[in-house]
Amino acid sequence: MTGLTHNALWVLVSMLMLGTAAGLVGCFAYWKRQSLMSDALAHAALPGVVIGFAILGFKSLPVMLLGAAASALLGAWAVTAIRAHSRVKEDTAMGIMLSVFFGLGIMLLTMVNRMPGGGQSGLDSFIFGQAAAMVRQDMRTMAAVAAAVLLVVLVSFKEWKLYLFDPAFARGLGMSGRLMEAAYLTLLVVVIVVGIQAVGVILMAALLIIPAVSARYWTNAFGRMLALSALFGGGAGVIGAFVSTLEGGWPTGPFIVIAAAGIFLLSLVFGARKGLLVKAMQRREQMRQLELRAVRKEPLAEREALP
Amino acid sequence: MEPVLQVRGLHAAYRKNKVLDDVTFEVAPGTLTAIIGPNGAGKSTLLKTMLELHPRLAGEVRFFGTAYRNAKLKVGYVPQRGTVDWDFPTDALDVVLMGLYGRIGWLKRPGRRHRELALEALGKMGMEGFAKRQISELSGGQQQRVFLARALVQDADLYLLDEPLAGVDAATEWAIMEMLKTLRAAGKTVMVVHHDLQTVEDYFDHVLMLNRTVIAHGPTASVFTPENAARTYGGWLRRKEPVTG
Amino acid sequence: MIKHGKMKSTGRAFALLAAMLLLAACGAGMAAENGSGGGKAADGSRAAGGSGGARGGSGPDGAIRVVTTIAQIAEPLSVIGGDRVQVTSLMGPGVDPHLYKASQSDIRKLGSADVIFYSGLHLEANMLRAFEEIGKRRPVLAVGEAIAKDRLLTDATGAVDPHVWFDIDLWKEALGAAVEELKKLSPDDAELFEANKRDYFAKMDELKEEAVRKMASVPKERRVLVTAHDAFGYFGRMLDLEVVGLQGLSTEDEIGLSDIERTIDLLVERRVPAVFVESSINPKSIEAVIEGAKERGATVRLGGELFSDAMGGAGTVEGTYLGMFRHNVDTIFEALSGEG
Repeated sequence: MTGLTHNALWVLVSMLMLGTAAGLVGCFAYWKRQSLMSDALAHAALPGVVIGFAILGFKSLPVMLLGAAASALLGAWAVTAIRAHSRVKEDTAMGIMLSVFFGLGIMLLTMVNRMPGGGQSGLDSFIFGQAAAMVRQDMRTMAAVAAAVLLVVLVSFKEWKLYLFDPAFARGLGMSGRLMEAAYLTLLVVVIVVGIQAVGVILMAALLIIPAVSARYWTNAFGRMLALSALFGGGAGVIGAFVSTLEGGWPTGPFIVIAAAGIFLLSLVFGARKGLLVKAMQRREQMRQLELRAVRKEPLAEREALP
Repeated sequence: MEPVLQVRGLHAAYRKNKVLDDVTFEVAPGTLTAIIGPNGAGKSTLLKTMLELHPRLAGEVRFFGTAYRNAKLKVGYVPQRGTVDWDFPTDALDVVLMGLYGRIGWLKRPGRRHRELALEALGKMGMEGFAKRQISELSGGQQQRVFLARALVQDADLYLLDEPLAGVDAATEWAIMEMLKTLRAAGKTVMVVHHDLQTVEDYFDHVLMLNRTVIAHGPTASVFTPENAARTYGGWLRRKEPVTG
Repeated sequence: MIKHGKMKSTGRAFALLAAMLLLAACGAGMAAENGSGGGKAADGSRAAGGSGGARGGSGPDGAIRVVTTIAQIAEPLSVIGGDRVQVTSLMGPGVDPHLYKASQSDIRKLGSADVIFYSGLHLEANMLRAFEEIGKRRPVLAVGEAIAKDRLLTDATGAVDPHVWFDIDLWKEALGAAVEELKKLSPDDAELFEANKRDYFAKMDELKEEAVRKMASVPKERRVLVTAHDAFGYFGRMLDLEVVGLQGLSTEDEIGLSDIERTIDLLVERRVPAVFVESSINPKSIEAVIEGAKERGATVRLGGELFSDAMGGAGTVEGTYLGMFRHNVDTIFEALSGEG
C-alpha cells in the first residue's frame, strides 16, 4: 500500500466501516423480507435533508441528518399505516411510499434551488453521495456506527436469530417484539442516514441488499451468513473506493456498488452452498451415482394395440 | 383441582370481523383437549389471544390462577408450521435450543447442558439423527416434530398446539399423539387445535367445540355428539358415519 | 363483486383526472404563447420613426421588457438602460445555470418579453430548446456568442468555457452586442443607451485596472486560485492567476479521490495559503482538500466564498456585476497575500 494518502485512507476506512455496518443490518432486513424497505427508507430520507436545510436557511449537518432520520421513520410509519388500513400489499405500499417521498424530496430540492440567498449547493450530493470527500471525522462516525451495530448484533445474537426465524414463538417466550422491531429500525435508519452522505440515497440500498444476498450462497448457518455479509459489505466498500482512485474522475459511490455486484456474481456462480457451479457438480455426482447403481436399461416393450 | 386455564368472557376481532364472542371455559389439569370448529371459527385466534399475541377486546385469561406474564415458563406454545420461513439457515438442534432461550437468559450462549436437553427432546420425537440437518431439508412431518421437540424442551405444564397434525404423514401423526399422551400421563395438560373430526374421539379425552363462541365443552364421550357437531359446523358438516353418542 | 365495480369506477375517475390535467397543462402553455403577445402597442405620443419597427417596448411607458437568464447580463443592462428598460433574470443568486431547467412561469416570462438575452456557449445547457422555440417569435440573442471565437478559452475536454463574464473586455463585447439590440428596438433611446454604456464601460475598465494591480502585487508562485469549480478560467487569464478546479466546467460530475489528491499535491507543492468555495458548490469537497493538506503539513485556509455561476442577492452590493466582481477580487487578494 505504498503512497496511500491520508484522504485515500479516510475514504477507504470510512467505506470499510459503512460497508460492514450495512452488511450486518442488511442481513437482518433480508430475513425480515424487508430488503425493499431499506431502499424505500433511503429514498424517504431525501425530503428530510432538504427540509432540515430549508428551516435553518443554512447547511448544518446534524440538523440535516436529523431531518433525514425523521423523514425515513415517517416513511416507515407510512408503510405500516397503509398496510393496516387498506388492502394494499407490503411491497406495493413500499413502492408508493418510496416514489412519493423521493418525488417530494426532488420537488423541495427544486424549490430550494430557486430560493434567494444561495448556500443550498451540495444538497443534491445526498442523492448520489460523495464518498471521495470523506475526512477524519467521517471515518470516526462510520467506525462508531459499525461498532454500535456489531455490539447490538453480538450481544443479542440468539435473540435476533429467534426473532427473525419465528417472531410468534419469540413473543411466546416473553421477547418484546416491539423492542426488537424498534432496535432493528433504529439501526437501519442510523446506517442509512450516515451512509447517504457517502453513497447517496439511490445507491445506499445496494450496500444494504447485495452483501446479504451474496452471503446466502455460501453458508447454511445464520451466524456465518451475518459474518460473511459484513465481510462482503466492507470488502465492496474498500475495493470500490480503491478502484475509484486509480483514474481521475471516477466516482467512488458507483464503483462500490459495482464491487458489491461483482461479489454477488462470484457468489452466484461459486458459492459453496448454493452456487451454480456447486449445484452443477452435485447434480453430476448424483447422476453418476445413479448410473453406478445401474438400472437395467432395456427399452420398454412395444405394447400391442388395445382392443 | 385448580384449573390450569380459565377463560372468561373473551372477545377478540380480526380487522372488522368479530372472531371470538364471549368465550368462557375452564381446563382441568391432566387433560388432552381438542379445539374444533369450522374455518374462521377463531381457533387459532383463541390461542393467540390467550397468549397475548393478538389483541384482546375484553375478557380475562388466567394460567395456573395468575396472569400469563407470570406463568410464561409453564406454558409451551407450538404455532402453526406455516408461520415460519423454513428456508432460514439453521439446523434442527438449533431450533429446539430456541425453546430454552427463556432459560438461558439474555447475554449468555447455550451451554453443553442445554444442548443435551435439546438433543434429548429431539430423541423423544425420534429426530435425534436429524440434529444437524438443515430445516429446509426436512419434510413436513419432520418439521412438525422439531417444533414439538422445541415445546417439550421447555418442560412446561400446559401445552398449546395449533394444528400440529395438519399435513403430516401417518408415522408423524402417530408419534405426535403418542408424545401428547405421554405428557398427559405425566400430569401435563394439553390443548390442541385439531382439524380432523374423524380422530377426535380416538385421540382426545376432552373437546372444546368453538364457533366464535363456545358451543360445547367437556369430556369427549358426553359432549362430542351429532347435535353439538351440527350446531358447531352449521351446514358445513357431512356425516360419514354415525358418531357414537 | 361490489369491490370490482368500485375499482372500475375509480380507474375511470383517475383517467378523467389525468386527461383534465393534461388539457390544463396544454392550455396554460398555449395561453403563455398567445397571452401577452400582442403587446407592442406603440406609444402614440412618439414621433413615428424608422420603417415600422417597434417604437419602444411593451413595458410601462414604452420601456423595453428584457428577460435574461443570468443576472450578470440583467444587472448591467438595467443600469445601462435605466428606466427605459424593465429587466428580469430567470436565474437568481445561488442558482446553477448549467443545470437549470425552465419552469412554466419562466416560459410565460419569456413569452411576454420584448427581447431575450442569454449567455450561450452551452452555459444554459438545459434551456436551448426553449430558446429555439421562443426565437421563432421574439428576438433572442446569445450575448456570449457575439464574442470573437479566438478569444474564448476551452477546457481539457475541448468544450468552450462559457464563464466569459469574468473577462472584463470580453464581457464588454457581449454587453455591447446586447445594447445594439436594445437600440434597434427603441431607436429613440439609442443615444441614451450609448451614453450610459460608455459610462458603465468606464467603470468596468476602472475595475479591471484595480484588479490587475492588486493581483500583480501577490508573488507569482502564490498566485494560484483553487476552488471546487472550473469557472474562473477567464478570470485567471485576465489577472495572470493560475486556476485549478476540482471538477470540470459543468457541475454534473461527481468528484473523485484522484481529483482531490491532485489538488492537495498542488497546494502543498506551491504552498498556496488559501482555497475558495463558491455559492453554488458543495463545501464538503473543499473541506476534504483542506484536511488532506493539513495532514501533509500545509495549512491551507478557507479563503472565503466566491461567486462563480451566480451573483449575490438582489439589493446587495454583490448583487451587482461590478460589486460581485470586486468581491471576488478582494477576497482572493486578501487570502493569497495574507500570511505566507
